[in-house]
Amino acid sequence: MGPVELLHMSVFSQSFSPCGRFLAAGNSYGEIAVFSLSAALSPDATALSQKPVLTFTAHEGPVFSLLSTDCHLMSAGNGEISCWSWSDLTKKNVKPLWTKRPNYKSSLEIPEINAMVLNTRDNSLVVGGGDNNIHILDLEHGIFKTVLQGHSDYVHCLSLREREAEILSGGEDGAVRMWDSRTGQSVHCVEIYKYESCARPQYGKWISCLTTDSDWMLCGGGPSLSLWHLRSLSPTSIFTLTGCQRQTSFYQDMILAVGEGPSVAHCLLGGEVKAQIPCTPQSLNTLQLNTNSAEHRMLTVGGSSNHIDVFTNLSYRAFSLSF
Amino acid sequence: MSSDALKKRKSKVVRSEGGTPEMKRGRGEAEQQDVRVYNEEVELDSRDPEQDFQQYKESCESLATIMSEIQELKANGAKEGSAEVEQRRMQGCIHFMNLKKLNRLAHMRLKRGRDQTHDAKQKVDVLHLQLQNLLYEVMHLQKEISKCLEFKSKHEEIDLVSESEFYQEAPQEISRPHLTKNDPHQLTLARLDWELEQRKRLAEKYKESQSMKEKIQNSIEVKKEHLTSLQPGLNAIMQASVPVQEYLSMPFEQAQIQTEVARHLPPALYVLFVQANAYGQACDKNLSVSISGDVDEAKALSKPPEDSQDDESDSDAEEEQEKTKRRRPTTGGQLDDKRKEMLKRHPLSLCLDLKCKDGSILHLHFYYLMNLNIMTVKAKVSTSTDLTSAISAGDLLKSDTLLSCLYSSDQGRETPNPANRYQFDKVGIVTFADYVEELGHPYMWVQSLGGLHFPKDSSEGVSVGSSLSASHMENTMKLLRGRLQARLALHKQFASLEHSIIPVSSECQHLFPAKIISRLARWTTITQEEYMELPYTRHVADAGLAKESDLYFMSVVERGTARLQAALVMSPRYPEISPLFSLSLSWKGERTGRTDDNLRAMESEINVFKNELQGPRPGHQLLTNQISRLCVCLDVYLETEGQDDSVEGPREFPREKMCLRTVRGPNRLKPFKYNHPQGFFSHR
Repeated sequence: MGPVELLHMSVFSQSFSPCGRFLAAGNSYGEIAVFSLSAALSPDATALSQKPVLTFTAHEGPVFSLLSTDCHLMSAGNGEISCWSWSDLTKKNVKPLWTKRPNYKSSLEIPEINAMVLNTRDNSLVVGGGDNNIHILDLEHGIFKTVLQGHSDYVHCLSLREREAEILSGGEDGAVRMWDSRTGQSVHCVEIYKYESCARPQYGKWISCLTTDSDWMLCGGGPSLSLWHLRSLSPTSIFTLTGCQRQTSFYQDMILAVGEGPSVAHCLLGGEVKAQIPCTPQSLNTLQLNTNSAEHRMLTVGGSSNHIDVFTNLSYRAFSLSF
Repeated sequence: MSSDALKKRKSKVVRSEGGTPEMKRGRGEAEQQDVRVYNEEVELDSRDPEQDFQQYKESCESLATIMSEIQELKANGAKEGSAEVEQRRMQGCIHFMNLKKLNRLAHMRLKRGRDQTHDAKQKVDVLHLQLQNLLYEVMHLQKEISKCLEFKSKHEEIDLVSESEFYQEAPQEISRPHLTKNDPHQLTLARLDWELEQRKRLAEKYKESQSMKEKIQNSIEVKKEHLTSLQPGLNAIMQASVPVQEYLSMPFEQAQIQTEVARHLPPALYVLFVQANAYGQACDKNLSVSISGDVDEAKALSKPPEDSQDDESDSDAEEEQEKTKRRRPTTGGQLDDKRKEMLKRHPLSLCLDLKCKDGSILHLHFYYLMNLNIMTVKAKVSTSTDLTSAISAGDLLKSDTLLSCLYSSDQGRETPNPANRYQFDKVGIVTFADYVEELGHPYMWVQSLGGLHFPKDSSEGVSVGSSLSASHMENTMKLLRGRLQARLALHKQFASLEHSIIPVSSECQHLFPAKIISRLARWTTITQEEYMELPYTRHVADAGLAKESDLYFMSVVERGTARLQAALVMSPRYPEISPLFSLSLSWKGERTGRTDDNLRAMESEINVFKNELQGPRPGHQLLTNQISRLCVCLDVYLETEGQDDSVEGPREFPREKMCLRTVRGPNRLKPFKYNHPQGFFSHR
């Protein structure tokens, strides 16, 4: 990979290994890099230990989504999902266990996969992407069992409410849809941009980030990032962040959000923006908290750069991993 | 009772002696003593000192009791001279006598003890002396023994043939195996004999060879004389053949003259001359080599024996220099002269002309700097057509940049010879780059062509001479030709770019849609500083991709109210290394490739996916194709932007390009990839 390619690389997705000692990151050239966190965090870490221990080409298009299960790593590229074994990857053995492709209707362009979530209740993988539909892959049998149809444009993001067995999806059409995962029916549809307090017509109406925590939902994108109470389906707090947000996460009593702009925003649930921590990439695509391992607890963010910033303490950038 | 008896005997002795022995001796009564036959010394032997001591104590005690008895009697009123007292006094006297005797005996015993000790001591001294003598003798003998052991015979320094060889080669009468097999001394002697024999033989052989050599030398002399006598005859024949050569137009003479001149070339230029000639004859008919410069001066230079490398006494020219030095004794002037001297070129230079198919010629002048031992090159281009039209192309064919980085990172600004650093320090030259304008560039490949090799790492071996030159010749000539053609192609392209026309050849037509609305508005060259000051090029500089040797340009593409600035870095090795674009769009505010993901995607479409834009080999159309794609991408960007705006009225940029989807992926990129036969745009 030449310097020009590195200059134009973007990091789209990240996932920590189940043991918490490795980080997988997918970039715009379809490559997945595996970083060793214990090497990067060790006191005698050099510049070399911030480089990946393994880089391999997983897909043709960009790797928009990565997901770790108990022992596997799922990666999504152009219309296909590959499964890799973490134990193989740590042994630098790169061969997918399987590769699956949802049944797409269109033929001209292969739809991309933008989001994946794992439903542990029935061991299935929920996949959303460019064909406006949500496909559910039964991991037991390896077949796509259900298709949730309803969005009128492509699906940006997915979230799962395990207790209610509900799947939430946000799309380019500006709607957040809630699906009953058992029946496959759309339960609710909230069009965020129609709420005046959230709408930002100068940006657009798409929903590019979505997170849930019991009865609370966090969503944003074209409209402002907002906190919703799901039982009453009404916005409770609006966060005044500039640019569109691409990923958010609840963390303790805070909300972390990344998106356009070179900073990680810390917000309080009340709607106040507490801090904006600067980082290396000019715009951010992904944010990931490592909760799998206590000694490697960290926040990593990636975006329009070949660097992945690591925060061991949430209030400042410790160092960067780089492709 | 026994004590009483003792007392009696003692008192007898005292009486018989009748005074101290000393007194008697003093009077000279030795005779009397002999007569008496009493010798106290004999008595001494028979007595026990322990007993004497006991006696002494008893006498003292009894003396004390007698004294106390007398005192008692006196106290009881006894008269002076009474019988009791008198008796006591007598007894006391006897005891005194006894004490005296004991005292004398003690003295005698002491004396005798002293004498005995003295005798014993004398005896010991004598024995000690004897021991010392013996020890010394032993030491001396040991020394003698070691001296004997260390004795070195002269024969040990002589290298002898090994034992086995000796038995093999030496004749029986010398080796005498029956004698020497068991006696190492005889063996050594025999080997020495053999050595002597051999040396004698070799000396004889040496004499023989010497005489042979003399004989051969004599014959050589004779032959030489014969050959020199041939010279005038040959010259005459040469002279006579000139008109024939002219008549037949065979340039033997000319070639000979050139080789004659070439003899005066310095070694480096000579290697290049020979190799370039050879390469030109074998592989490349369009390469011609000629020598220019003052031949006489070169002859003068090569005449004096080059035994001294010293700056001051090398040639006539230098003597002149010294004269001028004396005339101007200011230190500044001296240093200037020294510098000039240091940077002196050899009077002869080599000119290589490289002709291209389109009639343009690359003239390369190679110089040799005598005191620095490096070669430099100056380049000039002459073209068949007029090339003055393009302003921004000014730098392209300049001698300065034309050959820069022919091999990667070979900028030719610093001298490749590490030794020069010290020479420069002496005369106060900071960097060779200050003199490059005047002297030409000392590129690494130039040194290689001249067979000069300056290892950069100590691991590299030093390769020598013409094999080095030959190994570089073909590759370098190809690179030179490629460079010239690339530059000429760029030159032409710049001329039309300055008139806002992007030349797209028919082979590359399929890379772009038929209708491109965005237009190139401006094409100018900028300096590196100007480039660095732009807010949207920092990342390029940070990545180390904007170097001093690169060329920098600014292009502006416009459509309606939108104005896209693209700053370019172009490596001198173009098209091998593609130009790098950085974008900034001013339309509804200012956005750059740093802040806008779509502009970043456009940058990567142009910079990363350049391979499909290369066109026919060797890719001279890369730049214009990149600019065309930039226009296409701007069209797509503007037409797909803000379609969801609920603003009233007609759009500024109506959708004309066919797109499958206008946005895709988490960061909502626009479709910048053009699919040729179908004519639609899709995502990467």
